[in-house]
Amino acid sequence: MSDRPDDRSDERRSHEPAPAREGTGFPVRRGADRERVRAAIRTELEGDEEALSQAETREYHAGDPSHHRVIALQNVHLAFDEPILEDVSFAAVEGETIVVAGESGTGKSTILKLLLRLLVPDRGNVYIDDEEITQLNFPDALKVRQKMGMVFQGAALFDSMTVFENIAYPLREHTALTEAEIEERVHEKLSFVDLDPDRVIDQLPSELSGGMRKRVGIARGMANNPEIMLYDEPTSGLDPLTTATITHLIIKLQRELGVTSIVVSHDIRSAFKMASKIAVLANRKIAFFGSPEELSGSDDKYLRDFLGGY
Amino acid sequence: MRGRLTHETIHLLERFNKAAKRQVHSLQEFFVLGGKSIGFAFSRPFYGGDLVQQMEAIGVQSLSIVLLTGFFTGMVLALQASVQLKTFGATMLIGRFVSASMIRELGPLLAGLMVAGRVGSGIAAQLGSMRVTEQIDALNTLGTDPIRKLVTPRVLATLIMLPTLTVINDFAGILGGSVIAWAYVKIPVALYWRTVWEQIAAGGFIFRYIPNDFVHGLVKPFVFGGIIAVVACNFGLKTSGGTEGVGVATTRTVVTSSILILMTDYFITQLLLAFLGS
Ligand SMILES: Nc1ncnc2c1ncn2[C@@H]1O[C@H](COP(=O)(O)OP(=O)(O)O)[C@@H](O)[C@H]1O
Ligand SMILES: [Mg+2]
Repeated sequence: MSDRPDDRSDERRSHEPAPAREGTGFPVRRGADRERVRAAIRTELEGDEEALSQAETREYHAGDPSHHRVIALQNVHLAFDEPILEDVSFAAVEGETIVVAGESGTGKSTILKLLLRLLVPDRGNVYIDDEEITQLNFPDALKVRQKMGMVFQGAALFDSMTVFENIAYPLREHTALTEAEIEERVHEKLSFVDLDPDRVIDQLPSELSGGMRKRVGIARGMANNPEIMLYDEPTSGLDPLTTATITHLIIKLQRELGVTSIVVSHDIRSAFKMASKIAVLANRKIAFFGSPEELSGSDDKYLRDFLGGY
Repeated sequence: MRGRLTHETIHLLERFNKAAKRQVHSLQEFFVLGGKSIGFAFSRPFYGGDLVQQMEAIGVQSLSIVLLTGFFTGMVLALQASVQLKTFGATMLIGRFVSASMIRELGPLLAGLMVAGRVGSGIAAQLGSMRVTEQIDALNTLGTDPIRKLVTPRVLATLIMLPTLTVINDFAGILGGSVIAWAYVKIPVALYWRTVWEQIAAGGFIFRYIPNDFVHGLVKPFVFGGIIAVVACNFGLKTSGGTEGVGVATTRTVVTSSILILMTDYFITQLLLAFLGS
């Protein structure tokens, strides 16, 4: 497009975080400070470890380079009325949880829609299981989407269907399961998200609380046992207790089932708890991509402000 | 001065050009959506349950308003006719007047406009709120084509139900006329209904047995039904801007489909007159 406001991007560039230092990847604070932050993170993570101790944890290999990239965005550019994403790249290895953080309106949900091929980038590539998905036709895109479970920001439950029908929906659409098997699967998923199946199964989404809707959304997303889970702001608008519950659920899903997850969130606290890597989106670009430790060790001004003292 | 004027003229022309292009583009969108939705009716998976549910919903939503508008329109037509025909001493022709107006024109048009207001707005609001609450994205994500699942059943249901409702509307109108003819003008019910049939017969037949009046009266609601459903689904699916956007989609659906119904009514009539001869 010729009318893209290139002149404006110059003006914006000045607000961008300092460019990454060569070699190390990102500016990292050295010395005692860094040790202190690491210790803080360790305590956070250990708190979770305890909560999850009963859960039978499978071997999980976050970030192990010997495993293939399940998800990858490569030099993705996307503009609606104005540019939203410019040269965005990151990848997730099998079993990893990547948190995409950033202010609202920076294009976090857009990234999830790109992964689901609900949107196609103007330039760049999107890979799911090493398959380039931007060129796929509609039926093939539907197939790729079945590898993924998506949890929408507002849960996006079908409001004309009961909880049971919502969770059964992907099973009815894509599997040849019998009615009894579907029922069993729905019960299993509801129990996994800590909802009492007998209590909620016949309720309509409008009768549920926000946190319960989110959990039903997660149950529906994982109904097909997908290898990839995508979450759009799973904890936003929830009280601290429910936030903790949902965060634990996401961690549990990753540890017990080994799914690869992308979590969009501006909740830094829960991001640090579950992320193997964090991507910070700012000014249409990935301003940071690395481990939580690296992020909290960074002395970049924008990132420090973004973390808000965390 | 002159330079500026020319400049403004060009600017105006450009804007007009852009607006015209947008119109053509959105017209194209309607045809694409309509074509796709009909195409999906002939391939698997077919959401039959949704079709039945939509037919039921449209029928239930519209039956009472169609009965009411039809009945009162028939009554007022008979009342007007009694005044006009009295001057010629021809009040026994009230039945012909009512049936001529109802079956060919007012029945299809009124049912169309009523359904546009009731069903069209409902479809736009429902699909619009599904769009803004990401339920449409959720369908896509769960591997369902929203057009197949949502648009096809609604288009088919409206195509089937609007002609049905029109017949009911016609009948209610003629019945309303009969009540007035009997109560005010003292025309025997049997005579009234005979003149109704005489009028239908006078319109001529196609294939010997099908009255032209019925062809007019059924082709129109079929086309109107397609217009209403496709316009409503298109605006509904394209909704943006949260709950406010749902309101916009609803209003645009009712206005656009009503105007399109009134416009196509004229062209269908002209086409049918040329084709049927009367
Ligand atoms: N379909 C669309 N058409 C036009 N603009 C859009 C569309 N979807 C998103 N946007 C715009 O893209 C930007 C990023 O949106 P989004 O990805 O939802 O942000 P986030 O999830 O980070 O809050 C916003 O400015 C939004 O207005
Ligand atoms: Mg968002």
